[in-house]
Amino acid sequence: MKRAMALALTGSMVLSAASAGCVLAEGAGSVELNVTTTFAGEDGNAQNFKNAVDAWCEKTGNTVSDTSATSDESFKTRVVTDFETGSEPDVLFFFNGADANSFIEAGKVISLDDIRAEYPDYASNMNDDLIVDSLVDGKKYAVPVNGYWEAMFVNTEILEAAGVEKPGADTTMEDFIADCQKIKDAGYTPIACALGNIPHYWWEYSIFNHTSPATHLQVPASVDDEQGQAWVAGMEDIKTLYDDGFFPENTLSGTDDETFAMFTEGKAAFLIDGSWKVGGIASACQSDTEDPSTLDTAKLDKFDVTYVPGNGDRKATDLIGGLSMGYYITQKAWEDPDKRAAAVDFVSYMTSDELVPVFAQHTASALKAAPEVDASQFNSLQVKAMDMMSGVTSLTGAVQDLFQGDCRVSTFDGMPEIVSGKVSAADAVKEGLDAYNK
Amino acid sequence: MGTGIYKRKKPLFFFLLPAFAFLAVYLYYPFVMNIVNSFQDIPRLGVPASGMNTPWYSNYVQMFTDPVVGTAMKNTLIMIGVTLIGQVGIALILALMVDNVKYGKKIFRTVYFFPIVISATALGLLFNLIFLYDKGMINQMLEGLGQQTLIDWKSEGRALLTMMLPVMWQYVGFYFVILMTGLNNISDDLYEAARIDGAGKWQSVKYISLPLLHNVLCTCSVLAVTGALKVFDLPWTMFPKGMPMKSTFLTGTYMYYQTMEARNVDYGSTLAVLIVVLGMVLSGVVNRIFKEKDY
Repeated sequence: MKRAMALALTGSMVLSAASAGCVLAEGAGSVELNVTTTFAGEDGNAQNFKNAVDAWCEKTGNTVSDTSATSDESFKTRVVTDFETGSEPDVLFFFNGADANSFIEAGKVISLDDIRAEYPDYASNMNDDLIVDSLVDGKKYAVPVNGYWEAMFVNTEILEAAGVEKPGADTTMEDFIADCQKIKDAGYTPIACALGNIPHYWWEYSIFNHTSPATHLQVPASVDDEQGQAWVAGMEDIKTLYDDGFFPENTLSGTDDETFAMFTEGKAAFLIDGSWKVGGIASACQSDTEDPSTLDTAKLDKFDVTYVPGNGDRKATDLIGGLSMGYYITQKAWEDPDKRAAAVDFVSYMTSDELVPVFAQHTASALKAAPEVDASQFNSLQVKAMDMMSGVTSLTGAVQDLFQGDCRVSTFDGMPEIVSGKVSAADAVKEGLDAYNK
Repeated sequence: MGTGIYKRKKPLFFFLLPAFAFLAVYLYYPFVMNIVNSFQDIPRLGVPASGMNTPWYSNYVQMFTDPVVGTAMKNTLIMIGVTLIGQVGIALILALMVDNVKYGKKIFRTVYFFPIVISATALGLLFNLIFLYDKGMINQMLEGLGQQTLIDWKSEGRALLTMMLPVMWQYVGFYFVILMTGLNNISDDLYEAARIDGAGKWQSVKYISLPLLHNVLCTCSVLAVTGALKVFDLPWTMFPKGMPMKSTFLTGTYMYYQTMEARNVDYGSTLAVLIVVLGMVLSGVVNRIFKEKDY
């Protein structure tokens, strides 16, 4: 009996050792990359990213631990904090403006020049002139995929009900305010925006309406100079719209998701947002958000996209946009002999000539040989976006990308205090500039 | 082995040392460093200080003049009141009622305790849906009852109540179970003797249950007050960044906001010092008020 037991135990030991060997053998050569991007949530490319990651994993045998999240202030804070606490990902798709300054200053990401010294073909399909230089040292770090634009989405059903024409290339802010009043009188909310949560788009365009494409990217030296006064005037414009009752009732207490739902459900007429929202609106028109075949085309047809009404030296057709994000490879991955090649291969795959057009769609890219866009595959809102973009007179980057961190607090988190009159626009701008110049 | 093992104290220190070292490294050292940080200028989380603030006490001046600190302190004190009355008070009433129930005590115990096992973040998301402005559960119910306009339960005037109700609800079961245990420890002989002497239900509660629950109630009150100082996740999930208008900040959420969102790390450290001082003062006061009795 004892002998039989000993044999059984020995046999099971040999079997478990053999199976462990199998696991080791299978695992040999495969690398797990930690990747974080903004291709998540309502981002129109969230599904494209998932598909691309699956394809890359299948092709290489590697795995990806994906910690992508919706692009907002919390995401930026998380990424910056991860770098500062030493738990950064191996590859990240992140902003190339001032938001990246802290980890570039700390030398925690690898420049394109350094990568190309070892991998000469890295990002060779990109037009280097379109890859944004770091604000820290002028080097290039982030390989872009798709550009972005910010514009005004419109629920045409509400406009028809209120007897209002869709704003166009010649619409001024005065015309827009008159339209908003008509929409309000018809019983709808004119503007879908959660000022207490995501005031970013209105912040940017309200300032842009008091600057120009040539001057917009200058952060004021002082609240009293011309640029500083332009910022104050922008904040006061938002307060005027708030005082007129053009934002939702819960604009100070609700979230961006709530006000976006108001827009898609036919309760609010206008929404300023980014090009990624084209996909978000299409998803909201699907019975299954994961399955594009369930798209309700009749519902989607009721949405349109147009220019944000202009003012002063900014024409309505002058848009905020550009190539504001890209793929970084971190120092941590670069120094890991197992991960270095995998990280380079991952970024090369994601920024290949084949994949970039899938992500870029109706936006710009930095490809040297950008293929012709096949609009036959587009939904109606994507086609409308292409039409709108054909009339754009200039694309200017967002000044908030240069104005990072705690200096934003007084006018972003503090927007409810500004519009409700608890803090003056001038004081809020001054507080932000003081923090910026500190 | 002789009885000397019980007289020698040195081995005791050997066994106490690891726990002491752990606390020294992970509690007392960070605590001292936090005080030091509150006087320094720290540009961002995870980076070293660039030097002392000018003047070195500037964060403390800011703290005493920051109106949001006043709001957070006021809200925290309200939260303490709510936990004492809403959590311990309701738990006491429920416990007294269930104690008088003949059948199904276990079911009540499980039902009331259940919210404790759900994570506060999940509860926050759940209550977000309940209090949602458009298509939220409560507004839909009111609409069904004929309400014409939607109510913004998270508006400045209602936000505090909307935030405190779920916090209160979540912990009632915790104190309920403690009080039920206390009630079970009271001998049935006392109730029987009182009944023979002609005492009614209310008199039994007033003259037997409540006096003999005194020490348990003191323990619950101390736990409730110290717990209220630590409430964080549910309020943050429902009202991130003190929304709306920074009116729902508690001391803990405001410290987190300054450190992680506004990236004002040294000021966040100053607020952490305030929380510790507040905790020590309140613990002292509570221990004096709710002093346990020897029977």
